[in-house]
Amino acid sequence: MTVQEAAAELPNARRRARRSPLAAQRQRMGILFTLPVAALIGSLLLIPIGQTFYYSFTNWDGFTSQWIGFAAYRHLFNTPEFVTVLENNAVMVLAIPIAVALPLGVAFLLNTHIRGWRFFRSVFFLPTAVSWVVIAFVARRFFDPDKQGVLRSLLDHTGLGFWHPDLLGHEHSALLAVMITFVWSVFGTNMIIFLAGMSTIDQEIYDAAKVDGAGSFTVLVRITFPLLKRFVSFAFIISLITAFSALFSLIIVMTNGGPGYGSTTLEFFIYEKAFTESNFGVGATAGVVLFVLVFAVSMPLLRLLRSDD
Amino acid sequence: MSALEWVERQRGDVWRRRTGRALTYLVLFAVTAIMLYPFWLMGQMSFRSLPQYYLGKGFSLTTWHDLFAALPIGREMLNSTLITLCSIAVILAVSTTGGYALGTLRYRLSSLVFLIVVCSMMVPMQSMIIPEYINLARLGFINHYYGAIAVYSALGAPFATFLMTTYFRRLPEDVIEAALIDGLGYGSVFFRIMLPLAVPAIATVAVLQFIQIWDDLLVGLLFLQTPAHRTITVGLETIPAQHFQNFPMEMAGSLVSALPAVVVFLVFQRYLIRGLTMGMSK
Amino acid sequence: MRRIIIGGAALAAVAVLAAAAYGAAGSSRSVTLTLWHNYGTGGNAVATKNLVAAFQKQNPDIKINVVSQPGGNYFQLLQAAWIAHTAPDLSVQWTGLFDTKYEKQLLNLKQYFTPAELAKINGAKWSSSNFNPAQGLLVMPLENQFYMGFYNKALFKKAGVTSVPTNWTQLFAACTKLKNAGITPIVYGADPQAIGPSPYPYYDLSYIASGLFSPAQLKGLYTGSTPWTAPALVKAVSNWASMPKKGCTNSDVLTKTNILGAFMKGQAAMIVDGNWDTATLREAMGAKVAPFLPPFTDHPQHGVVQYSGDGFAVSKQSSHQKEAVQFLRFLMSPTAQHIIAAAGLIPDIRGYSATNPLANQMLAFAKSGKIAYPMIDNVIQGDVVTTGMKQLDAALGGNISAEAALKSMKQTHDALPAEQRGPVYH
Repeated sequence: MTVQEAAAELPNARRRARRSPLAAQRQRMGILFTLPVAALIGSLLLIPIGQTFYYSFTNWDGFTSQWIGFAAYRHLFNTPEFVTVLENNAVMVLAIPIAVALPLGVAFLLNTHIRGWRFFRSVFFLPTAVSWVVIAFVARRFFDPDKQGVLRSLLDHTGLGFWHPDLLGHEHSALLAVMITFVWSVFGTNMIIFLAGMSTIDQEIYDAAKVDGAGSFTVLVRITFPLLKRFVSFAFIISLITAFSALFSLIIVMTNGGPGYGSTTLEFFIYEKAFTESNFGVGATAGVVLFVLVFAVSMPLLRLLRSDD
Repeated sequence: MSALEWVERQRGDVWRRRTGRALTYLVLFAVTAIMLYPFWLMGQMSFRSLPQYYLGKGFSLTTWHDLFAALPIGREMLNSTLITLCSIAVILAVSTTGGYALGTLRYRLSSLVFLIVVCSMMVPMQSMIIPEYINLARLGFINHYYGAIAVYSALGAPFATFLMTTYFRRLPEDVIEAALIDGLGYGSVFFRIMLPLAVPAIATVAVLQFIQIWDDLLVGLLFLQTPAHRTITVGLETIPAQHFQNFPMEMAGSLVSALPAVVVFLVFQRYLIRGLTMGMSK
Repeated sequence: MRRIIIGGAALAAVAVLAAAAYGAAGSSRSVTLTLWHNYGTGGNAVATKNLVAAFQKQNPDIKINVVSQPGGNYFQLLQAAWIAHTAPDLSVQWTGLFDTKYEKQLLNLKQYFTPAELAKINGAKWSSSNFNPAQGLLVMPLENQFYMGFYNKALFKKAGVTSVPTNWTQLFAACTKLKNAGITPIVYGADPQAIGPSPYPYYDLSYIASGLFSPAQLKGLYTGSTPWTAPALVKAVSNWASMPKKGCTNSDVLTKTNILGAFMKGQAAMIVDGNWDTATLREAMGAKVAPFLPPFTDHPQHGVVQYSGDGFAVSKQSSHQKEAVQFLRFLMSPTAQHIIAAAGLIPDIRGYSATNPLANQMLAFAKSGKIAYPMIDNVIQGDVVTTGMKQLDAALGGNISAEAALKSMKQTHDALPAEQRGPVYH
């Protein structure tokens, strides 16, 4: 290297010298701060998940297990109900965009701070505090096609009484009733997440936009939504995981998976196999399938999250 | 534009704003009715005795009396509170540090760790709870508070870390750079700057996890098999039997169980407001 | 010298104290047992509490901790407890295939009860290994139960139904009369008893089966020698599933809530239920309500579903098996049977009667020559029961045909491993 080149290199070197210790500290601190969550998840979550993967290849009944390899998966996919169950899950996915869009809209409304917004925010969140059993019970009353059913009386009062929906009584519509109830119940959670996300948006941006004369709709589309992209992704993934693996208590009281297998989701199927029939091996196999499904659907969303704004 | 036209335009604006606001309120009140219906139903049913429930009318305090006679409500509420608060403490400790590492520091392997954290949420609980149970039973964790707390913390940590990471990534870098230039280490940056800024997210995690842990049935059932340690949610499940569902008592019990979550939310929403009104004022 | 005397005295004192302590401990050598039940807050829970209290009074050195466990997930919890070796000494078990399922964990009581003692128990065979009392009792039943129909005498009179129907033809005739009088003949809906929604089709299926098979022939359904798609069975279930279309029931059979209330308020004339609601019905309707045998048969109904559905068993893992069995023996005593009757249950030991007149009316069926049948969901495989619950309901709701429903049940049955369809009940 010539002297001129070395002289030219000097600022870089100094920058490198100043960057490396900081970068090294950043790396060290990063690992240090990750240790708690890594230890907790590693010991109490990843180990049983690993065991589940193992048991998915066996016919475990809780006491003894016998390795049967990929036959376990083949047997599962050959079970006729399983195809219905997978179809049900596919239909459930359609509810997710609605479960995300509705609370997003209401969060926007509340963010405009109209009078009484704090009251509304509290009220909208309250159903989250109610247990799934009560929600299911209320839902059954709502969808009851008899005169005492809430939906029926609503329709009668608005002149649509001729249409007698008996959602819970038919195989193909029971799932729709479950989906509606699901959207209702995650409303509060998603709304809170969006409100928390909106708190990261600098108020000055809004003020500047208002000075520029932007209407509220423009503000919504051009400013708030892009900045909330991460949170929308997050809500999407969380709602998906809830729909696929947290609705068990709702379904068992509301429809018990029926009529037929109409409202049996994969999660409900897993519970039936694993707990009701003590067929933990099949439960593990189906659990792995569920994991793969959720992962596949969430992947593109996760990538969206990781892209920098 | 003439003065008249200007007045017309103003009136038009006001009218538009008023209808906009009226519509907004209409929607909000409709949603309110939908959201409050279960509470109204729970209240109505719990104030009927069992025969009155079947006949569909009446008012009585028998059910409430029977509920408190049948279950040790106070003890079970205490157990629920203890277990839930401890679990949340662990979850917050683990997720704020994890979120900081994965969202702000973003060191070399952090994407992989983040992926693992998110994936660990995707295996349904019913599939892996029995291996978990067997492992912890071998270690003697059954029928102890710390067993349930350990499991709840592990189950809630991925979601909390996920939210924290998302939240931390949205926080601006320049604040941190300013602090670093001032000579603060990354550790102090976390405690002095990032944590206070993360209060809305912390409040969100606390409230959501509170409800999830409080209302959980399966973990409480398996890991706390004795009535002394039992949570209220598991306790409520002892009301119905195979051929006898005491609906009014279940409604009364559910109402009692829902109250703490409501209280927690009302308390914590002040911290959520703080974030919203403060914005990102430096 | 003095030290030796003092030392000796001290030793003697210690010896005396130790002997006294041992003696005291020996006389208060008490055993504590744990008992789990899933009886919730109803009559069975009351009976259990009182039984334990009376037993402890008779046996002061045995103490029993009664733990009420959640009804849903009860058996999953028991299994988990057996896996972790934290299981209770005594636990409530359902009888029939529900206890042969857990036979490996339950103490076989063959050596503790003589055949003479077993003969006193109604339906001892359904709580025994391989349904044969000689192979050992597994569960000591707590009570006698019924699947039963109830009808409103006043409404029958109002519609001009003069005699209780005993077969399909008479049933449909009665339905027409009731419908014309503006009364719902039979009300179906979300079962008020079960933890889930939707009707529980096995009350009805038990009575359908009683018209086609003898109790011993029910084994054919278990082994598969009588397939679920047998023509006679298909015909009978089709008749049953056609009831809503024929106007014999309300239209929303799968989703109507609070059907017991509808029956009690006089909106419906008949309901198919069990003995657990007799107290409520009697209180609300007095002498207007009476039991009848659901006539889901071609020939006059000759069977009554009288069956001891649950009781107590001892865990093999218990370290106090003798004392636990003592409690089971106590259940057969007159004291215990009176406690059971006083709690509103129907005693299961021969020679005792119930306190509720409705219950005694139900007991009278067997005394007048009707044949006792088991509850069919206790004697067919669990997987088939699960499938049947969904598919039979779907058939009643008109979503699928009865034949399709039975075909699903047969498919589930055929897919079971051989030892679950074998000659020995597992």
